[in-house]
Amino acid sequence: MGEVIVVTSGKGGVGKTTSTANMGTGLAAMGYKVALIDTDIGLRNLDVVLGLENRIVFDIVDVVNGNCRLRQALIKDKRFDGLHLLPAAQTKDKTAVTPDQMRDLCAELKNEFDYVIIDCPAGIEQGFRNAIAGAEKAVVVTTPEVSAVRDADRIIGLLEAAELREPKLIINRLRPKMVKQGDMMGIDDIIDILAVDLLGIIPEDEMIVITTNRGEAVVLDQHSRSGQAYRNIVRRILGEEVPIINLDESTGFFKKIKKIIGLG
Amino acid sequence: MANSYSVSGFGQDMAADLDDLVDEKTILVQRTLRSGQSIYYDGNVVILGDVNPGAEVTAKGNVIVMGSLRGVVHAGAGGDENAVVMAFHLQPTQLRIANHITRPPDNETVEADYPEMARIKGGVVTIEFFQTAGERQGKNI
Repeated sequence: MGEVIVVTSGKGGVGKTTSTANMGTGLAAMGYKVALIDTDIGLRNLDVVLGLENRIVFDIVDVVNGNCRLRQALIKDKRFDGLHLLPAAQTKDKTAVTPDQMRDLCAELKNEFDYVIIDCPAGIEQGFRNAIAGAEKAVVVTTPEVSAVRDADRIIGLLEAAELREPKLIINRLRPKMVKQGDMMGIDDIIDILAVDLLGIIPEDEMIVITTNRGEAVVLDQHSRSGQAYRNIVRRILGEEVPIINLDESTGFFKKIKKIIGLG
Repeated sequence: MANSYSVSGFGQDMAADLDDLVDEKTILVQRTLRSGQSIYYDGNVVILGDVNPGAEVTAKGNVIVMGSLRGVVHAGAGGDENAVVMAFHLQPTQLRIANHITRPPDNETVEADYPEMARIKGGVVTIEFFQTAGERQGKNI
């Protein structure tokens, strides 16, 4: 019996889809069977980020309306046989699916997959209610901005009201330098407000943009810090204790020397 | 419905059984289709604009795009294997004719700078340079 996790945020553009794609790819890379569901009907993106857009024939609305079987709508990933995507419809709207239908769908997928990860749309309306309906666990994504943290707080409240307790937090696009200078909220500031467990910190990284535009996943990139951060998140989802990477660690040549001679 | 067209200058009696003249239902879409927009028509569809990624055109007949076709297109949706898709820039996300579904290869980006036409030839969807009238005199398209 698998686990159903919803990835949500309230605010748009904070990295829900990117996080969903990377967590899913990371879990699949470790040999788990993963299904990703895009519930952002009308503004679907997960298929594009995974580079699977041109394979879509049926979507989630076709499945719930009985136009096709669930198996027919699931798209197998290019790289990992264990990774599947159930795409959203693009020419319909959020009301095309109901929370009850989502619950049934998640229950069905749970039987076959180790992890079912749901990419939630921005907002708190029906799309959000659909996305959380079948979920058992929640991951909240935020960025170190007052507006994103405010929305995350609202979302955590709504999740608790829906009996999805103890959501885990991903802080995305953190810039350690700016935090040091006092120009950006730090990890502690955000945790202070939201009072939830941290699942991971993703540093701001241009590799995210590069891989996303190519339909690849940064989690597979062995050299980037954001890839490492997502790999750590994957291990934490699997129950491992992984320390949060120290982003303050400077990579500058002189700083390294200073560290070696004990001045850093 | 009575035929309301007339043709002349084709030689004797050609107008009567002119194969090149198809009198079918056709609609003209005078706009660009953007992501999330879709058109379905029980005949031919001509689009005076582009079809962007995320947009869908479905027709029981032929689809002609006088612009860039980057979205999903389905011609011959009722099962007509003779249906064609034609565009000034043919770069669809996915192209379907009758019951055939095709998509561009994963690691290939060929950008043709000329009009192309897709149709079923010998059971497979083929894409070819669309030859203008002068070059295909006497040939059936």
